[in-house]
Amino acid sequence: MRSDVEYLRPLSLEEAVGFLSDHGPETKPLAGGTDLLIDMRSGKLKARYIMDVARIQELSGITVTEEGLSIGAGATITEIALSETVKRLAPVLRKACLTFGSPQIRNTATIGGNIANASPSADTFPPLIVHETVAVVAGPAGQRRIPVEESTAGPYKSNIGPDELLVRFILKPAEGKWCEFLKIGRRKALAIARVSMAVVAEKDARGAISFIRFCLGSSTPVPCRIMEVENFLAGKIPDEAVLSEGGRLAAEKMIEISGRRPTTVYKEQAVKRLFRRLLYPMVKND
Amino acid sequence: MQAGQGIEGEAKMIEPLKTVPISFKVNGRPVSLEVAAGETALHAIRERLDLIGAKEGCGIGECGACTILVDGKAVNACLMLAARLDGTSVRTVEGLAGEEGLHPLQQAFLDHHAVQCGFCTPGLLMSAVALLDEHPQPDRRTVSEGLSGNLCRCTGYKQIFQAVEAAAAHNKEKTP
Repeated sequence: MRSDVEYLRPLSLEEAVGFLSDHGPETKPLAGGTDLLIDMRSGKLKARYIMDVARIQELSGITVTEEGLSIGAGATITEIALSETVKRLAPVLRKACLTFGSPQIRNTATIGGNIANASPSADTFPPLIVHETVAVVAGPAGQRRIPVEESTAGPYKSNIGPDELLVRFILKPAEGKWCEFLKIGRRKALAIARVSMAVVAEKDARGAISFIRFCLGSSTPVPCRIMEVENFLAGKIPDEAVLSEGGRLAAEKMIEISGRRPTTVYKEQAVKRLFRRLLYPMVKND
Repeated sequence: MQAGQGIEGEAKMIEPLKTVPISFKVNGRPVSLEVAAGETALHAIRERLDLIGAKEGCGIGECGACTILVDGKAVNACLMLAARLDGTSVRTVEGLAGEEGLHPLQQAFLDHHAVQCGFCTPGLLMSAVALLDEHPQPDRRTVSEGLSGNLCRCTGYKQIFQAVEAAAAHNKEKTP
């Protein structure tokens, strides 16, 4: 436990951003705390101020607006997993939230914290990316919007500035589309994903893929859509050969982005197989 | 319920504090404490309130030995700041047994040999309480998912699952 930190708890976004504009570089926002307290314990956390944002009203709530599905950065993983609105409009996010960490972690961890912490294996990244999510960020000059893919510069390096705060996410709804989220970890609960994947897709009357968004997680410095895979699958009728080639393309792209690392021997095969498992229901499901 | 909702006298703290005054309920009893800004909820509960049922196992949210209920939800007390308990209602293993004796889950843990070394037991009991609150008649899969945030290195879990199922059956008998 560190004895030199100071705690504050603003109740409005204005107060929070006001404090950050004066003390941003020395401040760490505390959302759920399930990552931050680990860093505090290990001595990695250098901030002087811990700003508890859990009670800021503007960060809460899951609503449907004209822009899409709006999820407050302060929404806990449990809230998202239980939300009927999310189940209807973004079921792939719900799936990721149902297997996130453990019940205890889900009850405290927030989606904003998961993204701001910028772990390459953050479970909510792939679902948000396939929903072409925009992050709303508040700062001294007002609010700005960035695609969630661009919210991260690299492992644990967020592009959200020290004087800024994540407010909410706006997802493009995918009602009625087929989706899936899968991950591989060392065990079922609590494991950090070694490889994760999310997909949202649709087939036309002929059985060809008419819409596809595919994101690879935990395998590249920043989780990202693999356009080569999307372009290859678009217009094709999914069968085993198509899925094999799609998985090969996904693995190839991962190696191109991340380079050959000691784990590549495993991850190359894992990506190929997980990809097949991810999309196999599209082959059978007519 | 979200933390802090509908709590009387919820105070904003816009000035940073090294020592944070907090008021909350523990097992129904109101308490007020001064905690350090960087202090964990687990530390405050064990060292300041002397409620030593919740244990520190891993200290990083993997083992669940520190599980307590905050506003009815199971959380890892090692990953929560004590300051955040302000205005909440906390339940620990010490609050389970009443004047009429052990809580049905505690009795079931005894009856089904779900305790060996006992280190994980308080955390498992609190996860089980939260589980049965949400799913009064859970199937085996729901039990195993509900307890997936708690590690036990002795029992192999089978006896624990049986105990939780027995407690659920006991509750069903009692509520017509």
